[in-house]
Amino acid sequence: MTHATTPTLAGTRSLRTRFWANNKSTLIGCGVLVALMIVVPFTASSSVMNIVVFAMIFALPAIGLNLLMGLAGQVSLGQAAFFAIGAYTHAILLTKLDLPGPVAATVGVLAAMLVALLVGLPLMRLRGHYLALATLGLGFIVMIGVREWDVTGRTTGIYGISRPTVLGIPIDNSGFFLWFVTPFVVIGLILALNLTHSRAGRALSAVNDSELAAESLGVNTYALRLKVFVLSAGFAGLGGVFYAYQVAIVSPATAEFHLSVSILLMVVIGGLGSVWGAVAGAFLVQFLGEGMRDVIPAIFPGATGEVQLLGYGIVLILVILLLPGGLHQAATTLWQKLPFAGKRPPGDAHAHVPEDDTTIPQLPAVSTPVAAGEPILVLEGLSKRYGGVVAVNDVNLTVPAGSILGLIGPNGAGKTTCFNMISGALTPSEGTVTFLDQVISGRKPHVAAAHGLTRTFQNLQVFTSTDVVGNVYMGRYRKGSAGVLRGMLGLQSGEQSTHRAASYEILQSMKLSDAADDSASDLSFGKQRIMEVCRALAAEPALLLLDEPMAGLSGAEREVMAELLRRLRTAGLTIVLVEHDVAQVMSLADHVAVLDDGVLIAYGDPESVRNDPAVVVAYLGTDLDEAEAELNELEEHA
Amino acid sequence: MLTDFLQLTVAGLSQGSVYALLAVGLIAVYTVRHVINIAQGEFAMLAGLGSAWLAAAGMPLLLAILVAILSVTLVAIAMERLIIARVKKLTPLTSIILTLGVSTLLQAIMLLAWGPEAKGVPLFPGTNILIGGVSIRSQEFWMIGALVVVGGGIVLFYEKSRWGKALRACAEQPVAARIVGISPVTASVLAFAIAGFVGGVAGVVASPIYLSLWSGGVLLGLKGFVAAVLGGFVSFRAAIVGALLLGVIEAYVAGYVSSGLRDGAAFLILILVLVVRPQGLVLKPTAVRV
Repeated sequence: MTHATTPTLAGTRSLRTRFWANNKSTLIGCGVLVALMIVVPFTASSSVMNIVVFAMIFALPAIGLNLLMGLAGQVSLGQAAFFAIGAYTHAILLTKLDLPGPVAATVGVLAAMLVALLVGLPLMRLRGHYLALATLGLGFIVMIGVREWDVTGRTTGIYGISRPTVLGIPIDNSGFFLWFVTPFVVIGLILALNLTHSRAGRALSAVNDSELAAESLGVNTYALRLKVFVLSAGFAGLGGVFYAYQVAIVSPATAEFHLSVSILLMVVIGGLGSVWGAVAGAFLVQFLGEGMRDVIPAIFPGATGEVQLLGYGIVLILVILLLPGGLHQAATTLWQKLPFAGKRPPGDAHAHVPEDDTTIPQLPAVSTPVAAGEPILVLEGLSKRYGGVVAVNDVNLTVPAGSILGLIGPNGAGKTTCFNMISGALTPSEGTVTFLDQVISGRKPHVAAAHGLTRTFQNLQVFTSTDVVGNVYMGRYRKGSAGVLRGMLGLQSGEQSTHRAASYEILQSMKLSDAADDSASDLSFGKQRIMEVCRALAAEPALLLLDEPMAGLSGAEREVMAELLRRLRTAGLTIVLVEHDVAQVMSLADHVAVLDDGVLIAYGDPESVRNDPAVVVAYLGTDLDEAEAELNELEEHA
Repeated sequence: MLTDFLQLTVAGLSQGSVYALLAVGLIAVYTVRHVINIAQGEFAMLAGLGSAWLAAAGMPLLLAILVAILSVTLVAIAMERLIIARVKKLTPLTSIILTLGVSTLLQAIMLLAWGPEAKGVPLFPGTNILIGGVSIRSQEFWMIGALVVVGGGIVLFYEKSRWGKALRACAEQPVAARIVGISPVTASVLAFAIAGFVGGVAGVVASPIYLSLWSGGVLLGLKGFVAAVLGGFVSFRAAIVGALLLGVIEAYVAGYVSSGLRDGAAFLILILVLVVRPQGLVLKPTAVRV
């Protein structure tokens, strides 16, 4: 156990200080918000009070939408639909069935989440614009539904909702109502903030950088996005519940498209991915709307109706054009310009492993569940066709555990296509991939990753929104277990610090720890490639697929890489690598497989493959003697 | 019985023609910029309200219509130049927010300029026809005719003319297109101009029967989107067929079930299509490259 030292180090600090350090900004922020909400009823005029109450109510759907847009990278233009479902369910249960408030409210939130689940199950598979437009359609369906249904009171809606009573005190004025809603907003805020910083939150932000890489590290993108979508609907439903209490009438207008637009505006103003921004955005939009409703009729006499939309439209466009990060971006920029805001000291949350060049770098843990020499990966009749083009044709191959297999072949031979079928990024036209006695072909990459197969990419797939250690940390994803719920409740800091420490050790073993806190996109091409290998190793795979790991590396870096691969093999890891540098492959690999035009033309130890006439012809495309002469010449040059 | 059915079919086809024109505009922009223009429906409302206002002010109908369509085309070009072109990296997320912003802004302008009531352009000249008990209003001929002439013209333009082929090339191979001398800027402006033009035509021909309303564009644009999805967002022909189908189905729902549920039909179809066949009605294999 090499990384036993760091968790103990962290463990020596008392639990209380660690909790404070991790949650300082959240606690201060919530404290300020609560204090403001306590004071407001005593000082504000009734019109301002009204705005503040609605801002707090709409902060809930805005927080939910912010999670969906910031974390899952998806837009919902139907947030008002879930808001309306919560409001209607709550109102109907209260007025028609006389259920107690807490029960009606819970059912209201669950109803919104259930509808989101039903819509999301098929739709979250689609990317890009589809969810946005489908949810926009859902908004219209909900509006038409409540207008046509007797239970929802058709165009009149549901009225006569009585105010709640808490501990015998009737919540019958705006002040009390504000104090009634504030705890729920604060709890929602904390849950959302926790989620952003959790294992699931980091995974989703990795998905936004590179879906392919995140999935091949074990992230089930579809399931995570679906969960966030359902969660965001739950937030909207809760907002609807409070809205029904406050307004005492629920009409089809709660499902209005323009309400969805205003919720979206709150998120955009606040800054995508910033939970606090969503709350601030809710306040700003409420004040903006109220202001516009006063100002516009003064400028344009006779203007009535939804005139605030003029402001909404302009602000939406301007924010995206001029300040795409919203208020959050503005606040961060401002904060960095302040004289006393020094940069965060590097490595405050972890203990650095001391750098010592004379010691041999530690090896990442390697877990191989089968004995060396036993088959770990079996390809049977693997083929891929694109229309009439055959990219890979009937490849049969068995990879023994604890060895390095080099996969070579001229450009366009089908090497990367083979890799993609093994890792699950592509579905084979025919044939199967069996890994550790499980058929994994045709399933998503996260399935292969869950069984212990990770890969790197020929075209680098770096998580650009985090630092180097953050990239490697993502590799630890499959070693963790905290899900969305545990993440929201903040019950995973122990797990997080262990994995963070392990990430530093892996960087150390590849001499990258100096760059650990640098932004991943600032690294040189070669260093990024090494970082990708570190990331794949962090997952402690049983089988590592490397797609051209040497490309772009300097001579010295190549040596470090080759040495690492040899040592990993000795430790029991199985490696399959695609490489253009034939000399490197020949010196590293135990077995070499040669693909040409999608067909496996040779397989064996490096020496016999090198002398295989078919291979020589494939590489040089000339007759044998001539080819051999050229090959010898080439090797002498190399 | 049969007369009712045929009557509803005619109404559906004429309404479907409007959806088809909007779908053509959506696809024109999408193929070049990969932007789904949420403001597409607003183009139609803007043209409808604008020409109704000009006609009410005493301008001859034909002139009022031409001025309105031309102005909306200019609005679409301005939208491209002033807003869409200014974003360096246009992701699906930002493009939705931006076009939604434009849509909201246009709605507010229409509300301020022409008030909250729905307005209609005067009926186009022509006589209603009665064939075997089925009455076809002359305006319905105008709507279907607009699709045949304008929609058909755009399809021919894309498939036969040098510029049209260039636009398609831009969508498929931006680099190659630039090498043979088509600038992506021109292509983008042209695509938005087409979107504005067809949106404007759809808006004015539909306005006499279906009226124009400041907030009606989103719903109308979404119907066009449903049709575009049926065309897989690439094929004009499949989208036009899908739009006519949608119009007819809506008419049947309104006629046989309940007129209030009419708009719900489109979105149930949308969700159904996205679930069952997201690539649309066209048969085109999609390749993934990793």
